[in-house]
Amino acid sequence: MSLEGWVPDVGQYLTLAEVVEFAFDYRGNTTIVKTDGTEVVGYIFNRNTYGPEPFLEYFDESGDGPFTLRYSELANVKFTGKDTAAGNSWKAWLERKEREKAERAAARSVPDPDPHRG
Amino acid sequence: MSVPLSQMWTVATYVTRQKLAGRKRYPLVLMLEPLFRCNLACAGCGKIQYPAQILRKNLSVEKCLAAVEECGAPMVSIPGGEPLMYPDIDRLVAALVKRKKYVYLCTNAILLKEKLDLFTPSKYLSFSVHMDGLREEHDEAVCRDGVYDQAVLAIREAVARGFRVTTNSTLFDGASPLRMREFFDEMMNLGVEGMMISPGYSYSKAPDQEHFLMQSRTHDLFSRMLSKPKKRWRFNQSPLFLRFLMGKHDFECTPWGNPTYNMFGWQRPCYLLQEGYTRTFQELMDTTPWENYGKKSGNEKCRDCMVHCGYEATAVDYTFSSLKGFAETVGVTLTGKL
Repeated sequence: MSLEGWVPDVGQYLTLAEVVEFAFDYRGNTTIVKTDGTEVVGYIFNRNTYGPEPFLEYFDESGDGPFTLRYSELANVKFTGKDTAAGNSWKAWLERKEREKAERAAARSVPDPDPHRG
Repeated sequence: MSVPLSQMWTVATYVTRQKLAGRKRYPLVLMLEPLFRCNLACAGCGKIQYPAQILRKNLSVEKCLAAVEECGAPMVSIPGGEPLMYPDIDRLVAALVKRKKYVYLCTNAILLKEKLDLFTPSKYLSFSVHMDGLREEHDEAVCRDGVYDQAVLAIREAVARGFRVTTNSTLFDGASPLRMREFFDEMMNLGVEGMMISPGYSYSKAPDQEHFLMQSRTHDLFSRMLSKPKKRWRFNQSPLFLRFLMGKHDFECTPWGNPTYNMFGWQRPCYLLQEGYTRTFQELMDTTPWENYGKKSGNEKCRDCMVHCGYEATAVDYTFSSLKGFAETVGVTLTGKL
């Protein structure tokens, strides 16, 4: 199941830290919503919750970075970018191979209209 | 075994130095990923699924070399992505060879023939060509027809020009032991120096989640594949690791043995799992909860993993940890009996 398109409802049942964990695992761009209301699109590649001030790290949409953002400056993360791990290209490859196999099998099973021709 | 004596000597003296220094954890092979771009999208690969701006990025040669110095491992493997798409691959390799690092440039070989002029043959440089079996199996694994034939042409050319060439094969459920034995013959016919084989790892981001080998199936497959190995087959890896794959050894994982560096930093805890990044190698070694990884830890992600990046370092360490380990390695190397 892909999280593509998900806008988390951060609150009683879902913490911001949990949303960041999902975002860290997500292989697509996200929209990072800051507490000051500004937004930035980027790829979250790391988070660190061990220290006194948890933070995440990201590259922005143009590839600049890495940038660091403290959890205290973060309001939400929206899963707005395409999920690149959704496996669509592989599915397409499999479907094509299956189609080719079926076509070859069908071609082999077509009866020869004139089995006695020399 | 086909590892050249000079490389064996370098590894042996390095491991001995670590042991004399009392280091419990030390790196053996640095996995250096200068980019994530690839010209293939293989079914079993979980390394290249990133947004476009990440795929366009390259680590600078300077950053790569700083990581090599920081890590200190005697061998550097350059996977990716496809390293021959890295614009400074020639400069990077030359700098590593100058530092007397044994370099394994892991490539699918699609670009190898046209880029060979960028390199000079050296005992420190080996092209490790991704080959997952004979034509049918390989093209299916890489999801593109014709790649096997391209790789074979490139291997022939590289061997003819005096380069060290090895192959690197990842095996999945459904692999045929008989076909693999034919594949070993074929690779030896091509004149490669040696072959590396390993079961695949079930990357959570890989498109194909159905065909990864469980532990018992791994033992069965490798036992059948490697039973009565032909004298002409040469493997560019520890014979004890091969025995481990056959179920003749019970090793524990050494996740710090092949530390990974890429544009995100030092990857925690290993080449296969991505649980976070550190800014320095020392931080990786000091702050990773290593006890949470490996089969004994009970970590589900490690349960069926028998991949060489975790266990080859264990096999090498075992060789130099006791007379028994050393004698076993020498015995298998000399007799060829696995």
